[in-house]
Amino acid sequence: MSGARPLAERAIFAMGGGGFTMEPANPLLDDYVLGLARVPRPRVLFLPTASGDTLEQMNAFRARFAGRACTAEQLSLFRLHGARRSLEEIVLSQDVIYVGGGSMRNMLAIWKAHALDAMLIEAWRRGTVLAGLSAGAMCWFEGGVTRSAGPPESIAGMGLLSGSLTVHANGEPERLPVWLASVREGTLAGGWALDDGVGLLFAGRTLRAAVSSRPGAGAERVDAVGGELVRRRLDVELLGAGEPSRGAFRRVDEAVEELRLVQRLRAGVSAERDS
Amino acid sequence: MFATPQIVAFGGGGFSMERDSSLLDDYVLALTGAIRPRVCFLPTASGDADHYIVRFYRRFAAACDASHVSLFRRDQGVDGVEDDLESHLLAQDLVYVGGGNVVSMLGAWRAHNIDAILRKAWRRGIVLCGPSAGSLCWFQEALSAFHGAPRRVRGLGFLPYSNCVHYDAEPARRAEYRRFVAAGMLGGFAAEDGVALHFRGTHFARAVSSRPDACAYSIECARGEVLEQRLAVVYLGGERSARGASVAA
Repeated sequence: MSGARPLAERAIFAMGGGGFTMEPANPLLDDYVLGLARVPRPRVLFLPTASGDTLEQMNAFRARFAGRACTAEQLSLFRLHGARRSLEEIVLSQDVIYVGGGSMRNMLAIWKAHALDAMLIEAWRRGTVLAGLSAGAMCWFEGGVTRSAGPPESIAGMGLLSGSLTVHANGEPERLPVWLASVREGTLAGGWALDDGVGLLFAGRTLRAAVSSRPGAGAERVDAVGGELVRRRLDVELLGAGEPSRGAFRRVDEAVEELRLVQRLRAGVSAERDS
Repeated sequence: MFATPQIVAFGGGGFSMERDSSLLDDYVLALTGAIRPRVCFLPTASGDADHYIVRFYRRFAAACDASHVSLFRRDQGVDGVEDDLESHLLAQDLVYVGGGNVVSMLGAWRAHNIDAILRKAWRRGIVLCGPSAGSLCWFQEALSAFHGAPRRVRGLGFLPYSNCVHYDAEPARRAEYRRFVAAGMLGGFAAEDGVALHFRGTHFARAVSSRPDACAYSIECARGEVLEQRLAVVYLGGERSARGASVAA
């Protein structure tokens, strides 16, 4: 376990990128999340909503948590068939809720349609640790930067934490300038920019720690003061041995391969017709 | 002047559910009147599942200008429609909505303004169709039994009725729908797998089916009593009337 201790206050752990979907060979951040739970064998629920509940994310979650000291469960809002418990029963019986990355806009809209946003806030109030990366990290703040419609744009979050957050500061370079401009203009509140591999731990609404799974990964606090940006690097604690891990997790299954084939065929067909 | 708005709501069936029958899909394609229809697939209710998108292209790519809109992959620029959702959808002859979770689908649609775009498309005479969630969504109210206890869900409201799909799939479904209608849910239409309800404007035009023995019903509540009436269903595999003589609405 990598130095994480349960907090007396409500806990949120927000990652700029990393964990089982992005670092299949590096469990440091995920073990840190488990260490935040108040019980030795926590119940962990994964919400892959932002991805559309892809099998890739769900398989990666299983691969990471199946052999660890926890009871791992997933909640798909697209594949609810057969679930006997209500959403509320599922969400309110967890020690850790872990939210995956993807489309923040879709995720928040779908949560709202199922009234899941209110259930998550209630879970947090009751002491469930909320964790997540990317969309699953920005959602807890007042706002963030999403690429849900293609180009990066600012978007409102649930506002459990004050300030805004931007993610993948090093991995997706087009995101950071949009966030900085939004903070400067006041469209977004000041907040934090996180590289892939960095996580911020909040106790209640207060930043308690910044940790990282990769050497060199950083974070900064940015505020607009008198129309100018004030930027400050955070001290980030490197977890464990800090083996670097590069390259997003990708498992291409047959359906995706066939989809690509169909697209190549279609492209060929339309080119033929146009000529 | 636009063509008459048309919606074809499948109780279940079409390419996603019926491997050996393309009767319902052929029916909606014929409604477009186009030689090579432009058909766009919305797989939102499945979470834009890759296998579902593949099956759509397998079915439609040869005879149609087929495309799909993915609301979960808009940042990746690798498939589907990336730019202007509205102009793309309004350029179609047919919008085909896939099955899955209707609540999740409607939530995601709202976030991308798809609900307003589809209303515009419908008014312009672009044919709208789909099974399951792709049927429930067009109605004012729907009975969703996707998760836990069945419940009332508010749809887009293009059709001022309620809707219940897979009416034959679970024995309890019929009793649940009748109970909801008795408790104040709008009257409406129930369709079994393989039956499609065809609406012209907001009026029910006819029911067609890909299976000789599949049924559809209209349900209403009059003076506290729930009345269920079997509708005439035209079997598309021979255009001979299936059971349920001529009790059409």
